[in-house]
Amino acid sequence: MAKVYTGRDGRLLIDGTEQIKVTNWSLTGSLEVLETTTLGDDQRSYVPGVQEFSGSATLLYYNDGTGRNDAATALKKVLKIAGVQGTDTVDMRLRLVEGNTNHDVRLTAYITSVSFSAGVGEVSSAQISFQGTGALTGVTI
Amino acid sequence: MAFPSLRPSSRSFDAGDYPIKTYKTQNGSEVRILYGNRRTNMKMALSYENITDAQAELFLDHYDEMKGTFTTFAIASQLQNVAAKTGWEGSHDAIGAGASGNAYRYEGPPQVQQVRSGISTVTVNLIGVL
Repeated sequence: MAKVYTGRDGRLLIDGTEQIKVTNWSLTGSLEVLETTTLGDDQRSYVPGVQEFSGSATLLYYNDGTGRNDAATALKKVLKIAGVQGTDTVDMRLRLVEGNTNHDVRLTAYITSVSFSAGVGEVSSAQISFQGTGALTGVTI
Repeated sequence: MAFPSLRPSSRSFDAGDYPIKTYKTQNGSEVRILYGNRRTNMKMALSYENITDAQAELFLDHYDEMKGTFTTFAIASQLQNVAAKTGWEGSHDAIGAGASGNAYRYEGPPQVQQVRSGISTVTVNLIGVL
């Protein structure tokens, strides 16, 4: 059956936990290429270099009534007194759902920037950016 | 072992000069004395970008075989290895050293920059000497 995916199908999981009140996420994958063109060539040529994965997400700053606040948990990955350690990676899964099928991109990442704000007439939300480290750990798109 | 037969990514050539001594007199005029009839000290810089480590190793091996900067060698003539002069559509003698009775030697060690696993960039500087 034909399927158009929308934000309704989107999910974001951090360390295996589906985040609540996510309003958007995005992922960018890029490949650095190394030029191998030599004198006498008429066309440029390249070999693959290293890959990079990064992205961002926005979560409402929301307390579900049981004390769970996923936005705060994500913010604390950077907003911490002790400083960020090498072990402070997160397991990110960016998901589109189709019935019982999950289309995932999974990666280990550092949360590299966070921001949140409060304003009159606005819902407070947290914006996080993440930088993948190492290879993707799963791709089922 | 011949100089590696790889096509460079870029090449620069300095044509050198004849052995000339220049003096400035007190009245400002210049006196030049020509001490030889052969041009020398030409310089060629070759850059090999993003080559495999095995290819980069060829330069290190050749450098070692030439006893570093000690031994002279030919990098090209019309009949032999011309890879270093690829792209030059004039006479190969014009950017060589041999036509003036010179031969190239390494001006310094080849510079190897590792770009990623298995891929390196090598820069070689040669100087023509009599």
